[in-house]
Amino acid sequence: MRKFFPVEELARDGRFNQITMKDRMADPRTVLGKDGVRPSSNRLVPSRPDASTAARVLMHGIFVGEIQALEGAGRTCHDFRTAGDQARRAQDAAAGDDSGADAVPFALKLDMARQAWDEARHVEISVKLSDWMGGEIGEIAENTVLQAACSTDPVLRLAGVNRALEGLAIDVFTTMKEFGDLAGDPFLEFCEDWMLADEVTHVKMGSDWLRKVTENDPERRKKALEFQGIVDKLFSYGGTRSDSEESPIGLARRFRELAGFTDSEVEDIAEVSLAALNERKDAVARLQAEAASQFAGR
Amino acid sequence: MADPYKPRAPFAPWDRRELPGSFDVEDSARRVGNYKWAEMKLFEALGGWVATVPELDVKMRLGTHCYKHAWHADLWHKRLPELREMNPDRLTQPANDAMVRFVEAMTEPEAPDQTIEKLVGVYRVFIPRFIAAYTFHKNNTSQITDAPTIRSINFILQDEFDDWRDGEMILQSLIETPDDVERAARHQARLEAIMVEAGGIAGPGSIGMTSTGASANGPQNGSAA
Ligand SMILES: [Fe+2]
Ligand SMILES: [Fe+2]
Repeated sequence: MRKFFPVEELARDGRFNQITMKDRMADPRTVLGKDGVRPSSNRLVPSRPDASTAARVLMHGIFVGEIQALEGAGRTCHDFRTAGDQARRAQDAAAGDDSGADAVPFALKLDMARQAWDEARHVEISVKLSDWMGGEIGEIAENTVLQAACSTDPVLRLAGVNRALEGLAIDVFTTMKEFGDLAGDPFLEFCEDWMLADEVTHVKMGSDWLRKVTENDPERRKKALEFQGIVDKLFSYGGTRSDSEESPIGLARRFRELAGFTDSEVEDIAEVSLAALNERKDAVARLQAEAASQFAGR
Repeated sequence: MADPYKPRAPFAPWDRRELPGSFDVEDSARRVGNYKWAEMKLFEALGGWVATVPELDVKMRLGTHCYKHAWHADLWHKRLPELREMNPDRLTQPANDAMVRFVEAMTEPEAPDQTIEKLVGVYRVFIPRFIAAYTFHKNNTSQITDAPTIRSINFILQDEFDDWRDGEMILQSLIETPDDVERAARHQARLEAIMVEAGGIAGPGSIGMTSTGASANGPQNGSAA
């Protein structure tokens, strides 16, 4: 089995359709919606006319996101040599790779294995919730965001997966939990709350390990945080997640704090997300103006 | 009221634990180091395979089992310093070269249509060997001096039995045709042959017998019981 696995090869059964984030963002319907009408993008609350569909779509997104989180955590258990594993070092050397840079602490790998189990439960939970909400496996295309989990540097991977991706999960679950509460769906609220507890743990693992592993290497830490910034921007989904009520998903400041984000880190994400929302609004206005001028020129 | 000062036997009549055991401190530590290495390789492989199997239920099972073996590796990691091995990495070793080759061969299948091979390696060859080696250790070590190892083995064996059953049932559900049966059996035979060469998780003597049938027990320590 290869040490690093390309995101295009994540194995799925016949029900799934995968698209990359790049393809999704390049699709004009993402910005303008069907028939050129901008889809509702306000905070996901039960009073939204499309609430039931939007919640179901989001739940499917959670479901496939959990599969990818499971795969990412599993790959981290496998891809990197455990510090002190002399037999693997000898094998790597025989295969022409004698760098020690990819060796990670045994305890870090144990955390990743624990995360794999947690994510497996999240897949179980979200597949049942999806069913409960009337959804079907594969009815929505799967956005492959796992590039963040394919980094060959364990520290970048931690930053991209455990802080950026899992941080987004905290935001999504908080929004979904509130949705369950407002909609009078205690089953949904209950499950989201349990998953939220796990995600806070995962982000905390990422925060702690990032600090620990780069303790004496400020340059590497800087690089990792920059990478996280890039992934955070990607996950702002054109304004899908921000403090603004115009974003379907809010920024879960309190839970991010619990998970080891500093105040300034939370502020940075708030800023990037808001900028992404404004970019999207500008793009919509531009496209609408173009359409209007084309119509006027007829 | 019962007299609290009345002398009582230190071992109650129902407590039949004995002092003698087959392993001295070094024997036990060496085995524990082999267990830790093998459990590590198992959780790494299960974690790596998650992304390679298209079957959703199998994906989730592998992720779940991955953690259990990581936890076993951690139990052994923590046991090593208690067995006077202050540098746990020193004894975190494969039993021998054949064991390294076994793990290489077991982790070879990667393609999405090789779920049967992946599961056969783990659930029909590797895990049965863990169950055997742990059972031998539990039944042959001193029930009093090595009690912490026995306690860990009891927890671990429960997981191994549960996971073996899970894996075996998934395999039974995937093996549908005579061709599948042939594939599974062929792969099992190939891996089993390397495992026989390795002698088990802790090498020859993993279950007290070498391949020639001779007992590989250590001296009967603490026979003054
Ligand atoms: Fe999760
Ligand atoms: Fe997570």
